[in-house]
Amino acid sequence: MAAGSMVGRTLSDRLILVAVIVLGIVMVAPIVWALGLSLKTNAELMVDTSSVLHAPYTLQNYWDLVIGSPVFRWFVNSMIVSLGMTIGVLVLSSLAGYGFARLEFPGRDIIFVLVLFGLAVPEQAVIIPRHQLFSELGLHNTYIGLILPGLSTSFGVFLMTQYFRAIPREVDEAAMLDNATRFQVFWRVLLPMTLPAQATLGIYTFLHAWNDYWWPLISGTNAQMYTVTVGIASTQINFAESAGLGFLMAQAIFAALPILIVYVFFQKYIVRAVSGGAT
Amino acid sequence: MAELEIINVSKTFGQSKVIDNVSLTVGAKEFVVFLGPSGCGKSTLLRMIAGLETVDEGEIRIGGKRVDALPPGERGVAMVFQHYALYPHMTVRENMSFGLRNVKIAPAEIDRRVAAAAKMLEIEHLLQRKPAQISGGQRQRVAIGRAIVKEPHLFLFDEPLSNLDAALRVRTRLEIAQLHQRVDAAMIFVTHDQIEAMTLAHRIVVMNNQRIEQIGTPMEVYSRPATAFVAGFVGTPCMNFAPVEITGASPFVTLRLPDGSMLETRVDRKALPEGGRFKLGVRAESVRPCATGEGNCSGTVKFVERLGDRTLVYVLLSDGTTIVAEDAGMSRIAIADAVGLRFDSAGVHLFDDVRGYHAAEGA
Amino acid sequence: MSVAAAHVTDSRETRSGARGDWSSLLYVAPFLLIYIVLVVYPLFSGMWLSLHKADFFGERVFVGLENFTRLLADKVFLGTLWNTFYFIVLTVPALAIIGLGLALALNRTTRAAAVLRGVFFSSSVLSVTIVTLLWRVVFIPDGGFIATVLEMFGKPPVAFLSDEDLALPAIAITTIWWCIGLPMMLFLAALQQVPKELYEAAALDNAGRWKTLWSVTLPSIRRTFALVIIIEIVLQFQLFGQAQLMTLGGPNNASRPIVLFIYEVGFNRWDIGYAAAAAQILFGLILMAALAQYFVARRKGEA
Repeated sequence: MAAGSMVGRTLSDRLILVAVIVLGIVMVAPIVWALGLSLKTNAELMVDTSSVLHAPYTLQNYWDLVIGSPVFRWFVNSMIVSLGMTIGVLVLSSLAGYGFARLEFPGRDIIFVLVLFGLAVPEQAVIIPRHQLFSELGLHNTYIGLILPGLSTSFGVFLMTQYFRAIPREVDEAAMLDNATRFQVFWRVLLPMTLPAQATLGIYTFLHAWNDYWWPLISGTNAQMYTVTVGIASTQINFAESAGLGFLMAQAIFAALPILIVYVFFQKYIVRAVSGGAT
Repeated sequence: MAELEIINVSKTFGQSKVIDNVSLTVGAKEFVVFLGPSGCGKSTLLRMIAGLETVDEGEIRIGGKRVDALPPGERGVAMVFQHYALYPHMTVRENMSFGLRNVKIAPAEIDRRVAAAAKMLEIEHLLQRKPAQISGGQRQRVAIGRAIVKEPHLFLFDEPLSNLDAALRVRTRLEIAQLHQRVDAAMIFVTHDQIEAMTLAHRIVVMNNQRIEQIGTPMEVYSRPATAFVAGFVGTPCMNFAPVEITGASPFVTLRLPDGSMLETRVDRKALPEGGRFKLGVRAESVRPCATGEGNCSGTVKFVERLGDRTLVYVLLSDGTTIVAEDAGMSRIAIADAVGLRFDSAGVHLFDDVRGYHAAEGA
Repeated sequence: MSVAAAHVTDSRETRSGARGDWSSLLYVAPFLLIYIVLVVYPLFSGMWLSLHKADFFGERVFVGLENFTRLLADKVFLGTLWNTFYFIVLTVPALAIIGLGLALALNRTTRAAAVLRGVFFSSSVLSVTIVTLLWRVVFIPDGGFIATVLEMFGKPPVAFLSDEDLALPAIAITTIWWCIGLPMMLFLAALQQVPKELYEAAALDNAGRWKTLWSVTLPSIRRTFALVIIIEIVLQFQLFGQAQLMTLGGPNNASRPIVLFIYEVGFNRWDIGYAAAAAQILFGLILMAALAQYFVARRKGEA
């Protein structure tokens, strides 16, 4: 009986396995190809790109990157913007989430619904007036200007409100009987209990900020203010007359590496954050 | 001296009253249990004492000082919550000392109180653990410890045993009784479990429909229930009720049961209001099965519950009324037997059939 | 006496503070301020702007709905609408079906399945600029991966990105590669929610493997399927980076999506009233999808 079902399963199991492996190869092929290109000299690639498949390999492109590329500057910019946005979102969302979940003030429920409505407003729909506003305030090509729009998304407020609401009110009441002030209840009792949600929201925000292309492209037009994401794009625009395929790929690999390394270590949290962000 | 005074307190949520003109005094070192079905207002009243609910009308005084406008922390009370409400990110020690640190008590004094409470509750080995790392019963002890270290004059317990399994519940019940012996404080304990109420309380406050039905010692509440509600709520099995007619001349009345049989009582006719409608209330332990024709009435056995030390016999009278009687543990009565029932007149209560209050009793 | 009374009222206010006073607003005020300035104001200001002929330097003339009538007659704009819908048709069903297939195949506790899940999700953490860079060297005829493979078989290279018929499908393939992780993970999460008892009951009812899939598994994740479709529609509606970086909307506007149109009209031609009007149309379309998502998500309890 058990053996029979095993035999029945092997064929379809094998087909599924083959399909998954083929898809897996499709998944990694572009990255492997890019890695191969990045390890070749330009001269060799000009002659024949299939030389990627065999030695000699060289780290010359990466060395060129280290000595003569603005990519480090972009990296620092990305770090400042992403960290700034993450901290800002965590602070604002925690405060507002606590406010909406626990405090009462005139119009609370209506205001909350209006904030939720923000989830349906795509960034692209408000880009023109937002761009004008930042021009008037002189915020283009500043870190503040790159960070601020990310702080206006409703998602974090929504997530934290839900999380605070799930904490039993008994805990607040116990703290009140323990002579905690309202701020102490928030800061020392409830906020530490939301750490899992903070981690999810923090990773989600950081990744979005790091990978965002739309707003930094429009606001950070000065090459000194490029983030990595925009910087990599700027080298792509003149793809044809660029420093060569190998160098370009070295740049892509170099930019992808930190995120991929972080991903390997924090895969569980990142998957949860990204999936949680969608639903 | 009264530790707690509740004077004409009312509270309204929207249109509905949740506490309706309640007054109560709790003495120093007294153990009072609020007993009632869910939704009767007992938890709301407790939370009003704690300061977690506002008081719309009336006054609350603790230790002679009016507190109904004070924040919870300033009332000098400590509370143990139904689900413990421990702070999950703090160790047991931090949980217990959080309230003391908030009022800037000297660290040495905090350590002394935490150590003493931990010793009393036998949780010294858990002080460095987090709530998630200890069992439900241990969490319960930590919650009690968090209350003890405040050295309050009034402890409030909000159904603290309802999350424990049966064996642990009995043990913790005993421990709370012992705790009360050791600390110099009054305790108020909310429960819907009459056994907890009977075993713990000096006085029971029975509540129903946002009001107090009766305040009395456990035996008063059991043996002389002030209302039909109390009579029905306290005691297992539930008291038997049956509408009766008053007949017979003075000095004592005779009751006509629904099946037509007569029951002589020792109730003075003059003690009853004229023209009232009454119902009989009698506990199973005051009704004994006997041979047919020997008792006050008779019927057939519908059901038999054997509890070991005693046997409950459900007897169907000819008119359809069911009376539960108590027999010895080794009773030979079986389903469909014909039996007589003998009422112990000392255990007979008469209740006003309309308003439910206790009108008279047999003895 | 009066002092005591004052104290009583005072502390009553602090107590009832949790029940409603303006100081509670302090917790939500910082976010609300940013939200109003950066979302609410631009939303309405954009609607107002869409009724004007305006340029970057502040020239503004009220023109009513003229921008909208112009848009509906603008072949390029209508083309971008068509391209966006076509792109959604190319990507969304594929994402849902491949994502579901991967989830079904990888919903097991083996080490290999865990690694493969990690591989299929890994592309999702990359930025659009890296993704397009990787895929351009797959697609380019001059030394690209596909061209190199074709060359080994003696076939001529294909210029995917400069072919009117192949540009958008090439962008779609890139997008499916980039975005496959999310639907897979959403389906995996849904599959893990299916109660084990259902499978045990099916086994007791002698249901075979495919029968169980059709009668137990798929019906149990119906709601997730709908959710994935809507989420992906909303996401793919906002196609921008891939098109801008891989084809610049070309050749001959064949791969130009709505967002790229808004971007170019707004920031290259500085015809900002016109761009704002196109943004309103985008907003309206996405709002409909978002409302659909809200209603599907709200039916959580029923499915």
